[in-house]
Amino acid sequence: MIRITINGKVTQASEGETLLKVIRREGIDIPALCHHEAVEPYGACRLCMVEITKEEWNGWSKYVTSCLYPVEPGLIVKTHSTKVIEMRKTIVDLYLARHPNCAEIQQLADEYGVTKTSYQTVVDGDNCILCGICTRICDEMGFHAISMVGRGHGKVVAPPLDEAPANCTGCLACAQNCPTHFIEFEDKGNSRTIWGKKFEMITCEKCGKTTITKEFADYLAEHRELPREYFNICDECHRRSTALDMGRIASWSKEVK
Amino acid sequence: MKARFIVSPVLCIGCRTCELACAFAHAIDGKLGKSRIYPIDGGFKELWVPVTCLQCEEAACVKSCLVNALQRNPETGAVELNQEKCVKCMACVAACPFGCSLLDEQHELVVKCDLCGGDPACARFCPTKALEYKPIKGSPKKIAV
Repeated sequence: MIRITINGKVTQASEGETLLKVIRREGIDIPALCHHEAVEPYGACRLCMVEITKEEWNGWSKYVTSCLYPVEPGLIVKTHSTKVIEMRKTIVDLYLARHPNCAEIQQLADEYGVTKTSYQTVVDGDNCILCGICTRICDEMGFHAISMVGRGHGKVVAPPLDEAPANCTGCLACAQNCPTHFIEFEDKGNSRTIWGKKFEMITCEKCGKTTITKEFADYLAEHRELPREYFNICDECHRRSTALDMGRIASWSKEVK
Repeated sequence: MKARFIVSPVLCIGCRTCELACAFAHAIDGKLGKSRIYPIDGGFKELWVPVTCLQCEEAACVKSCLVNALQRNPETGAVELNQEKCVKCMACVAACPFGCSLLDEQHELVVKCDLCGGDPACARFCPTKALEYKPIKGSPKKIAV
């Protein structure tokens, strides 16, 4: 166990844990847009910046992204010092200039009292903050369907060659976890379109409700050794048939009684 | 694992108290959670089956999860979903052959029974003991039907 001090309060952390994890466990709210527990920390959004120091540092302190920084014995962390708030304000200010129409950024700006950006606003910008959650989750799940393309101003998230990605199974994890809800998809009838690729959905054999895409179910059946029949009906119809199966078994014992 | 969750459909009267208890036990910010247990018509007269997760040993939900968000809690034996790790791909919801991984539409979360961390609310409130959480006596390998 490692003892660290966060905002004056001594707390315990285990080795290898990151500062952000400990800070959040302590119930302290600091923003982080590029953080997701399913994937490795990335340090892209810079919003989780905190001030750290140690007694032996003779008054010196440094500013680190808490999502990437592992706990060390004797760390003294300040999550809301004047300097940290100032830095976070600057970052939010920059985000506001780049993504003026993004609701999530506007909310952050409100929280940090940034009413107007002090930089030149990008007029026809999109809402992608390039946090990489989508690409990292896609990689983690084993699909590698999308990635960061280009550099600098031209950097975007896209499938290879901007064509419908062959590896995409339409699981929607990228869109569901996008912190700014930028990734577009369309669920219509029994088809789903995302990244320019059209998928056929599984419709429940009993009630007709759509569940996941056929390609995703095929992938899970093949790579995770799951019977493909499991995916033929929806969860509600699964529960109904479970009740009927168990009911049949229970009825035998009733007769015994 | 010190205790086992036992469902006895024969004793169930379909009062749905368990459903209510579950929804209250899993409320977030004062809003009811989605119940993880449903007493459903068992196909015979006055026979109800409380359908809920039975924490399969070789669970389809665990197999289907591509980010390892589902893990067994060795203390309670429950397969627990780590909400922070979940990417909401719906794989477990589609894969569970008993339909016990669910989507909580209101909170936009995938949910499943976690045995309330070792004190299931449904069993506590069941008036007929159709749901019980009983300490395991003797050999833990013997499975009660």
